[in-house]
Amino acid sequence: MKKIAIGLYVSVTVVLLIWGYYQAIYVAPVDAMQGEISRIIYYHVPHASLSFIFFGVSLVGSIGFLAFRRSRPERAQVFDAWALSGAEIGVVFCTVALTTGPIWGRRAWGIWWTWDARLTTTLVLWLIYVSYLLLRRFAAGPQMQTLAAVLGIFGALDVPIVYMSNRWWRTQHPAPVFGGSEGSGMDPSMLSPFLWNMLAWFAWGVLILGIRFAAERQQQRIATAEAKAALEA
Amino acid sequence: MNEAAILDHQFRVAAYVVTWVIQLGYVAWLTMKWRAQKREAARLGVDRAKSGR
Repeated sequence: MKKIAIGLYVSVTVVLLIWGYYQAIYVAPVDAMQGEISRIIYYHVPHASLSFIFFGVSLVGSIGFLAFRRSRPERAQVFDAWALSGAEIGVVFCTVALTTGPIWGRRAWGIWWTWDARLTTTLVLWLIYVSYLLLRRFAAGPQMQTLAAVLGIFGALDVPIVYMSNRWWRTQHPAPVFGGSEGSGMDPSMLSPFLWNMLAWFAWGVLILGIRFAAERQQQRIATAEAKAALEA
Repeated sequence: MNEAAILDHQFRVAAYVVTWVIQLGYVAWLTMKWRAQKREAARLGVDRAKSGR
């Protein structure tokens, strides 16, 4: 039953991604100002926005780990697995946003990169979570998970700063399309393809988050079994 | 199609390709990790179903 549900979810996700691509390329009109290059919005913005959600998952996992690490160690391990999985998927999505953005910027602005508020805060966010993953990969000892959880919480503090950056400071990056000033928004003919891509990439993100979480839980079981075997030897 | 439109098209394709390379690259890494774990779990006798979530 579980396998059927997973298979169905994977199928729906693949269909959504194909449908999203079709919407972005064949249904969405060409932007009057930017032309064909504006179609990057259907991949760039969903990745940037969804990375916030996955970093949010990491935040909840980190808080949960710190809250339960003494009283309910087994539950804390589950939270820790969510924290790591969320951070990793968040980094993947943020990496896409940070690479597609400059490709778009090169054509739209004539430059690959600028130390604009939105770009810089996003890069800082990415660096914090890459540090988090490096800490998880290379640090050892009983305090590693606690240190990582603290770093994960501090990293998440940058998310609202990234979100507000192009509201607080007006620099190179365009003003927010959604939730911005009066007159902001998207034409309905572009909104539908955008939302389909948002949904498709969300479904994809949840899928790989679930796989990563299952892998991490299995890793925890292996570590426990290895420790047990070492004690028995 | 003028030169600017061709460049726009190429940049758009590049952005979409980069997206898929990153996403599928990550999935490939995850698959390798999963397989390595499966071998390790079999060696240690760790049962995913028995240990539960």
